[in-house]
Amino acid sequence: MKILIVDDDRINSTILHRLLSREGHTVITAGDGMEGVAQFLREEPELVLMDIRMPKMNGYEAAREMKRAGADRFIPIIFLTAVTDDEGLAKCIEAGGDDFLTKPFNRVILQSKIGAMERIRQLHTALRQRTDELSTHEQNLRHELEVGNHLFANIVRVGNLLDAPCLNYWTSPMSTFNGDLLMASYTPAGGLHIMLGDFTGHGLSAAVGALPLSELFYGLTAQGFSIGELAEEMNAKMRAVMPTRMFCAACLIEVDPRQQSLMVWNGGLPDVLITDGQGKLVKRIPSTHLPLGVIPLTRDDRKVEILEMHPDYRVFLYSDGLNEAVDRENRMYGSERLESLFDGRHGPDQLFRAVLADVEQFRGGAKQSDDISLLEIVCARAGEEPPGGAIQQRRKIITPSDWRVAFSLSAETLQSVDPLPLLINTLMGIQAPEGHRERIYTILAELFSNALDHGLLRLDTSIKKTPEGFIQYYGQREERLAALKDGWIRIEMQHTPVQDGGELRLRLEDSGPGFDTQRVASSLEGNLGHGGRGIALVRSMCVELHYPGRGNIAEAVYRWNCCQ
Amino acid sequence: MSGTITVSRGEGKTVISIKGRFNFEMHSQFRTAYQSETAGDNRKTKFVIDLTGAEYIDSSALGMLLLLREEAGGNEADIEIINARPEIRKILETANFQRLFKIV
Repeated sequence: MKILIVDDDRINSTILHRLLSREGHTVITAGDGMEGVAQFLREEPELVLMDIRMPKMNGYEAAREMKRAGADRFIPIIFLTAVTDDEGLAKCIEAGGDDFLTKPFNRVILQSKIGAMERIRQLHTALRQRTDELSTHEQNLRHELEVGNHLFANIVRVGNLLDAPCLNYWTSPMSTFNGDLLMASYTPAGGLHIMLGDFTGHGLSAAVGALPLSELFYGLTAQGFSIGELAEEMNAKMRAVMPTRMFCAACLIEVDPRQQSLMVWNGGLPDVLITDGQGKLVKRIPSTHLPLGVIPLTRDDRKVEILEMHPDYRVFLYSDGLNEAVDRENRMYGSERLESLFDGRHGPDQLFRAVLADVEQFRGGAKQSDDISLLEIVCARAGEEPPGGAIQQRRKIITPSDWRVAFSLSAETLQSVDPLPLLINTLMGIQAPEGHRERIYTILAELFSNALDHGLLRLDTSIKKTPEGFIQYYGQREERLAALKDGWIRIEMQHTPVQDGGELRLRLEDSGPGFDTQRVASSLEGNLGHGGRGIALVRSMCVELHYPGRGNIAEAVYRWNCCQ
Repeated sequence: MSGTITVSRGEGKTVISIKGRFNFEMHSQFRTAYQSETAGDNRKTKFVIDLTGAEYIDSSALGMLLLLREEAGGNEADIEIINARPEIRKILETANFQRLFKIV
């Protein structure tokens, strides 16, 4: 160790010098306080032995100077003193001394004090290194977060979240970085895709997944893919790039003002809530899928909920940070309290603010424990363009053309094959009105199940009204289908180009005896058919729907746009 | 503040009991609890996650359950989640975890 001795007594100084040199230390000496400080600065010793009474500058002053100069390091100062009174010793410590040694010196005590100081000094050095490392890490982290924040802000900015007139949203990250991802983008057909994603955990690691998902969201939306297809691609991407314990609870919504429809795919987020013109809750769409990135999607997982959109609807979606927000006593806010606001007390224009205010009031300044997001879709404004116009995105489209295909399905075929996927794939293969797949599928499925269930199997839908009847209905359906000897269903799809898109005519005819179209058609309206959606929904999506003939034919016309 | 984990191993069955808050801080504890059972060919174990004393579960904990499922054989894994209080059950069901685990 490098030791500085500051003492005007030459004999003392020499004894110490010899003693310490023999121990293997490097020794420097100074004859007074002022020289001591100069040596201290020049030689940077690791320990100082300091006499008190000296000319020019005394030991106390010199110690203060040294401590000031070496404030960023720990250089112990041991006072050499003849005084033994408490006050004198206290003065040594007050001046910045770390210990004292009374004269005459005992060699063993001197050695052990130097040893003890050395241990403290090493501890200080190690601590200092850690602190330095930590602050470097902190700086790096801050830098990385800045980069991440920049990326994240851009992810949101490239879409239409900020400028879509029908959207209101609020998002509050728990840390610098948000684990909730909100995006919106207009589709080429004039609809709007909206997504709220909630990644596992919080902070940077959670937000890393936002990059691949946002790329898919914007890319596929621009190419005209539907939300079911988006969910599938995003799920596959998450599975490919993210570790098992990371996933993304997500809800995808498509609002289409032209088709007056709402499509929802909810995988792991709280119920999507829909209110009417009075601000009352009229519908909820619970999560029916696993979050993105957990397992490969099945055919059922690609299915989306389709609803007829009323202009006075407001759609609310939120991340679980909202219903799981806690107050100072660690009690949870809860979905019940949230939904109790949707009872008509607050008008539709006040609801969004009312929810935020209520959560804020409940939390009462308690620390936020998760990212919180709330988004509102004002359906009445879904048709409004953003101030700068919707971003026109390039995509490949198959020019609408004239074509016609017809299928005839025998009883035997109907028993063994579900023709719906085949039909929809044929249609998508020829014309590919991307983004319309789910709606066309729904129309086909409804009409097909009417033709089969009522036309051929002659089932009575009225029994479906009770839960037991529902089971009975499907039992009967299975039995009768298995026993079906003859009969057929003919399906004809005809397509003609119209301005800005195409018109698809679907005609389903069955060999059944038909029914009183006036009477049955009206009762069908209220009947929830295949997938629980019903003919009313089909009617809302089609420009025409009627039952010519004796009631064994259904004709529907669906129009789609490919360009603005 | 996070919770505590206790493990009891029986014949072909490992019961992991979680009390308190089941969140990210439990990550390494939880992994240690099952790792000896999922290592190598030793994949016959049935797991029971007992949530009797669990007050809360966050998305990181759901991620840990998925990791256990994967390390215990994916679709072949036999994992039962028992005694979840209603709030926790709601969280598990919102994520549709009943498709991956037996929730009883």
